[in-house]
Amino acid sequence: MTPVHVGAILAFFCAVAFWQLGDISESAIQMAVGPSAAPRAVVAFFAVVTVLYIVSAWRGRQVDESAEPDQSALPGSLLRMASLFAGGLVFMGGVTWAGFVLPATLCGMLVARGFDAPLGAKSALICLGIAASLWALFAKVLGVGLGPATPFGF
Amino acid sequence: MDAVQALMGGFANALQPTTLMWGFVGCFVGTLVGVLPGIGPALTIALLLPLTYHVPATSMFVMFAGIYYGAAYGGSTTSILVRTPGEAGSMMTALEGNQMARRGRAGPALATAAIGSFIAGTVGTIALTFFAPLVVDVALAFGPAEYFSMMVLALVAVTAVLGRSVLRGLVALSLGALFGLVGIDLQTGQARFTFGHQPGLLDGIEMTIAIVGIFAVGEAAYLAWQGRSAQVGEVATLKGPAMLSKADFKRSWKPWLRGTFYGFPIGAMPAGGSDVPTLLSYYTEKKLSKNPEEFGHGAIEGVAGPEAANNAAAAGVLMPLLTLGIPTSATAAVMLSAFQGYGIQTGPGLFSSQSTLVWTLIASLYIGNAILLVLNLPLISLWVKLLKIPPPWLYAGILIISTLGVYGASNSLFSVGLLYAFGLLGYLMRRFDFPAPPVIVGLILTPMAEQSLRQALTISQGDFSALVTRPLSGTLLAIAALMLVGGPLWRYLNRSR
Repeated sequence: MTPVHVGAILAFFCAVAFWQLGDISESAIQMAVGPSAAPRAVVAFFAVVTVLYIVSAWRGRQVDESAEPDQSALPGSLLRMASLFAGGLVFMGGVTWAGFVLPATLCGMLVARGFDAPLGAKSALICLGIAASLWALFAKVLGVGLGPATPFGF
Repeated sequence: MDAVQALMGGFANALQPTTLMWGFVGCFVGTLVGVLPGIGPALTIALLLPLTYHVPATSMFVMFAGIYYGAAYGGSTTSILVRTPGEAGSMMTALEGNQMARRGRAGPALATAAIGSFIAGTVGTIALTFFAPLVVDVALAFGPAEYFSMMVLALVAVTAVLGRSVLRGLVALSLGALFGLVGIDLQTGQARFTFGHQPGLLDGIEMTIAIVGIFAVGEAAYLAWQGRSAQVGEVATLKGPAMLSKADFKRSWKPWLRGTFYGFPIGAMPAGGSDVPTLLSYYTEKKLSKNPEEFGHGAIEGVAGPEAANNAAAAGVLMPLLTLGIPTSATAAVMLSAFQGYGIQTGPGLFSSQSTLVWTLIASLYIGNAILLVLNLPLISLWVKLLKIPPPWLYAGILIISTLGVYGASNSLFSVGLLYAFGLLGYLMRRFDFPAPPVIVGLILTPMAEQSLRQALTISQGDFSALVTRPLSGTLLAIAALMLVGGPLWRYLNRSR
């Protein structure tokens, strides 16, 4: 990925924002700054700076930190990052039916996998310890609504 | 005298045994999280916000003060022992303090940082005590036009001063502004950027989700992508007690005071932050030192001054937040979110409408500072152990607690998804050098600026020129314009010479 690709992502965001501008209904209340005035100004400004960024990136003036010495990614970078985000997905997929602790443990294990820790018993035990103790502190002691620890209640 | 009396009332509240206990908890937890490598005060406070919502308001603010200063203290320990600054303000401490630690002088480095932070924090809080009511008097004369211009100035200052490129700062700012406009417009009831009234977006984007996503998930994703942080960084050994010798004290006290006088006023300015005063303090000490050759190899003045400046700036940041309701840094934006969580409106009215709370908060800043001095140095061996946690378990813990915080606050899977989406954005921003504070400050200030603009135009009957013809408003806008174009123009002129 290069700064030009980042420019393309910004342009996509910009297009989505323009599309969403059309969905804002005008208010029946008479006012100098209606509900779409600020969004229009912000999107216009965003479009201008996006164009400037793309031009600047095209000319090679924008930076990619990973091009700096000792900052480049080691082999397997996408897999590591995918593992970390998979942790979030697993949590979202499991928390409503499996309680909090199991999905949080799996989330932690996948995050740890993103930092080259093998998916094994050690990782499971450590992440289970973290998830269970955090659940106990927040849900039981402080009353934060995290749902049950396991699918069987508790 | 009014301020002194009000402060005494604040102390009376803050020194209640239960409240004091929360102060200890805040200092301990703030330091504990702040010590973890790569975690700055903004993220520390954002991570701990769900915890604070479940205690009474007064206790929460006392705990909050402890977390705020504790996170800054914790950051200096990490900077000295591992050379991993959690924020820009700790860069100089990491540079000089780690060199001291490598030469077997970790104890004096930690001691000068702790004592300097205590002195700077206390002097900064004294300044806040006496100057804040004066600023409130001035701010009461502000109309909506002045508020709008002040917010524009804060937005521009955060963008132009932070980061290496104004253009990337502006891109980040406009993204933050867009995120800030998501949800139902409170004045007209119209939904904006909600993708067909998606329920999770109607209430807008919760700021803590953006902060935790960008700073915690984004940072973890970047480090995982790089794959270079799987091993624990080398932790310097602590030999002997963390104390100052007479000679060290003699070399430290002047830098502490000079750092304080740089830190507080600059911290109180829009986008003053802590990196400018710490840099200024470092170079001043280098210039004034009798041993300039020691700088870069472990000069104690290079730790004492910047650490004092960093903590005084932390007190300074509270000035515009409490008196004007304007956050000038990511940390201040998180704190504003905490106020909003309790339904408290910051700004000049805060000192009259929530006088007890404000003065309890200010009193607890004094107490928090003292607690930290007592708590931190004896517990240094515990902090050293924390620094040895291997990165896989450290980041697993951080991401579990981040996910828990967001899920616990909203009970919404959509919010958890948004957290990881912001994490992806944070990864891109980190990799392609977009500054994060403009996104956060843009997110929180844009709807506030829109509201002030509406009020200003209602008063001026739709006449936009009122924004520039009112003297104070016009001046603030002129300063903002100058900040925005001044830097690039100066560079352009220099290039063309």
